[in-house]
Amino acid sequence: MKCRTKIKEICPTVAKFFSSILSFLVCAIPLMANAAAPHHITIALSNISEAISWYEEHLDCEVIAGRDDTVACGNAEIEFFLGRTVGGSQGTGVDRIGFSVPNLDAKMAELESVGVRGSGVRLVRFDDGSLVREIPGLYKTAFITDPWGTKIELVQDEDLFGFHHIQLNSVDPGEALNWYAQVFGGERASLKGVLDGVVFDGVWLLASEYTDGRPGITQGRTIDHIGFEVDSFEETSTQMSSVGAEFRGEPAVPDNGRSSTRQAFILGPDGVTISVVEPGWEGIEVELVAAASESTELYVVPKTPWGEPDLQGIWTADAAHGIPLQRGIDVAGTDELTPEEAAARRERGTLNSIWGYDREWRDTTLGYVTSAPSTQVAMVVDPPNGQLPETTAAYKELVANAAPRIPPQRARTPVDLGTYVRCITRGPVGMMMPSIYNNGLQILQSPGNVAIQKEMIHETRVISTEYREGFGEGLKTWLGDSHGRWEGDTLVVEVRNLNGRTSYLGSSEDMKLTQRFTRTGPDTLQYEFTVEDPAVWTEPWTGMFNFIKDDNQIELVEYACHEGNYGMTNTLSAARTIDAREAEETEYQE
Amino acid sequence: MVNLFQLIKTLPTLGLSLIIGTGSLVAQEIGDYEPREAWDGNPDINGIWQAIGTAHWDLEDHEASAGLPEMGAIGSVPPGPGVVVGGEIPYQDWALEKKQENWAGRPTADPETKCYLPGVPRATYLPYPFQILQGTDKIMVVYGFAEANRTIHMNVENPESPPLDTWMGRSYGNWDGNTLVVEAQGFLGEAWFDRAGNFASNALRVTERYTPISPDALLYEATIEDPTVFTRPWQIRMPLYRRLEPNARVVEYKCVEFSEEILYGHLMKKEDE
Repeated sequence: MKCRTKIKEICPTVAKFFSSILSFLVCAIPLMANAAAPHHITIALSNISEAISWYEEHLDCEVIAGRDDTVACGNAEIEFFLGRTVGGSQGTGVDRIGFSVPNLDAKMAELESVGVRGSGVRLVRFDDGSLVREIPGLYKTAFITDPWGTKIELVQDEDLFGFHHIQLNSVDPGEALNWYAQVFGGERASLKGVLDGVVFDGVWLLASEYTDGRPGITQGRTIDHIGFEVDSFEETSTQMSSVGAEFRGEPAVPDNGRSSTRQAFILGPDGVTISVVEPGWEGIEVELVAAASESTELYVVPKTPWGEPDLQGIWTADAAHGIPLQRGIDVAGTDELTPEEAAARRERGTLNSIWGYDREWRDTTLGYVTSAPSTQVAMVVDPPNGQLPETTAAYKELVANAAPRIPPQRARTPVDLGTYVRCITRGPVGMMMPSIYNNGLQILQSPGNVAIQKEMIHETRVISTEYREGFGEGLKTWLGDSHGRWEGDTLVVEVRNLNGRTSYLGSSEDMKLTQRFTRTGPDTLQYEFTVEDPAVWTEPWTGMFNFIKDDNQIELVEYACHEGNYGMTNTLSAARTIDAREAEETEYQE
Repeated sequence: MVNLFQLIKTLPTLGLSLIIGTGSLVAQEIGDYEPREAWDGNPDINGIWQAIGTAHWDLEDHEASAGLPEMGAIGSVPPGPGVVVGGEIPYQDWALEKKQENWAGRPTADPETKCYLPGVPRATYLPYPFQILQGTDKIMVVYGFAEANRTIHMNVENPESPPLDTWMGRSYGNWDGNTLVVEAQGFLGEAWFDRAGNFASNALRVTERYTPISPDALLYEATIEDPTVFTRPWQIRMPLYRRLEPNARVVEYKCVEFSEEILYGHLMKKEDE
């Protein structure tokens, strides 16, 4: 297809004049046939040799001589590296990769017989319980996940076997696909006339519209980045400038590169990290490299006897108490506090939390706390500036017109005192947050279930990683209906059906909460929570802090909050006394 | 102080010999059913279970009776046979009077009305499903009502007495053949056993036995011991049935808001004041 016609197809509504300028700019640079093509997918995981066996056995990929970290899968390579991830590929800018097989029904039957335990195959069933679905006019399709969280689509497409496509998630799929076509010279086309995409010599780049805010960035997730091979960095660089993209750093031969070919990285649309390599790329000689942090050994999460990642134990949020939700102005430049600053901050945090209590009655002074205070600057990690996103105009108006808060001493009924003081709930977000005492978190697992119990105020959720059907619209609860799944070693929990009667910083009943639990070390449980509430915030935001294991505790203290709620009785009777006194004074004056 | 572990081992034998004439009944119910195994070779009792019957109204035999008049038949108490082995709860004289006081004060005096934690064994036979999760060294039981739950510490040698009294007590467990034996103590003494006012003090010790009798049923036996309230230990027994709905779950039942009028009504400022 001629370049100018292509441009017109991409920009149908652009004025003729502008489109001819655009075609001149882009088409004046000759687009070489096959200037670039998807070359490799790079996956982070904890056991490379196991992964190689898995891809060999189940997806018919082949080992490459001299490269013990990569397999060839027909039309692309899959490169592995040792890295700790905070989740699988689902929901990131690169949602999944696709493979085509000659007989999908037979393949799924074969995979079903492998089972899920250990290095097995996790099958994804459609709502009716079936494994394979036929898309009219397209092909049969099915979904699985590898043991490390890579989402894989299997299709039966006679036109191309082996590695078949990369599926992106994008807030604007058309624009994203245009970007790749422009930068890498693929052909904007339609797969079997049904799916919009970019084709590179048979291999497809497809994109789904992501409607849950922004997709997660790929870095740090199982599909860490995708790779393209280009004939010339210079040419690609020019093509990139036409869309305003640039390389992060100069293209260079990496340390420990196996050949003298260069590599450079681009941050593509929707948070996708893209590696660009020259022909002859042979990867990097693998050493044990941790994805982040000072440790040089990669921590492998132990498994329960039935083969699921083991998060069990008593954990404490003591170390995280004092971390502010948002980054303050005084720490604008730094990424971490010094240990002394962290200790001082926690001290301030606990003292500020006490109000009515004796200053000395808290976990830190009573010697219960064994973990060092966190040096984390703020909980909010996305947006990256550590600040909550802008609130909506509608929410601002709500706040401006809100009735003034009733102080406790004027409380009319328990409702005026809030759900925490009433001992009903701290809410789905608040429940996990650190407090000045009773910071225990107990996690207990049975096959297919994870029970998460927070000491303050003894709220317990049982999260199933196996059931498919959630509550209907008519059943909403305070803590919602939790749907869990394992993405590699990360437990991902989506909380739906919230009754919205308890608010976190103004959240509404439409709030969606996604939680991620990853054991990043023997004693560290990383907890990430993403809050999405279009009625309040203009974009979703994510907070993170770590729970620390506390083997000195054998169980949580029974926090019988409601049973011992003398505070409620005292506060209400004080309020009634004030009322009576006021009534007396008024009477006296009359 | 008797070593708890030894106590756990001797109680089953004690319990059986006290059930006069009903030993064969137990054997009949259990039969020779061989349950599916969990990861450690013990019976797999993971799942969602629920008691059926009227034990939550009254552990002893009871006739139909009236509830709050405005609730008509819906609020009335259904009739039912008791679940107490031998029929009657063996109260000491003073305790029987106390039970009758409780009965007279119901439902307002009932901790369940106030959405207080139900204690053991009441949590087991409340008319709501609960979930058993067999972890690696603990078993958790999650009840939906008032977010009650228990952690059962498995196979602990020389278990320590609980340092504090609580509503749900502290539980230690181990397997005796196909039976999960749980010893619970350290109770506050404020929970009731049912809506009829049956109760015990903080000297209460409960020994439970959960035995699979079919793929979808457990036999639940609980021995109640409190020498300050009863003249001897006594036992209740009932089946627990598996909830078979696909995707069955324990739904969170937070009832605090429904108890506030009863607890704090006299301290609330109503709109018309």
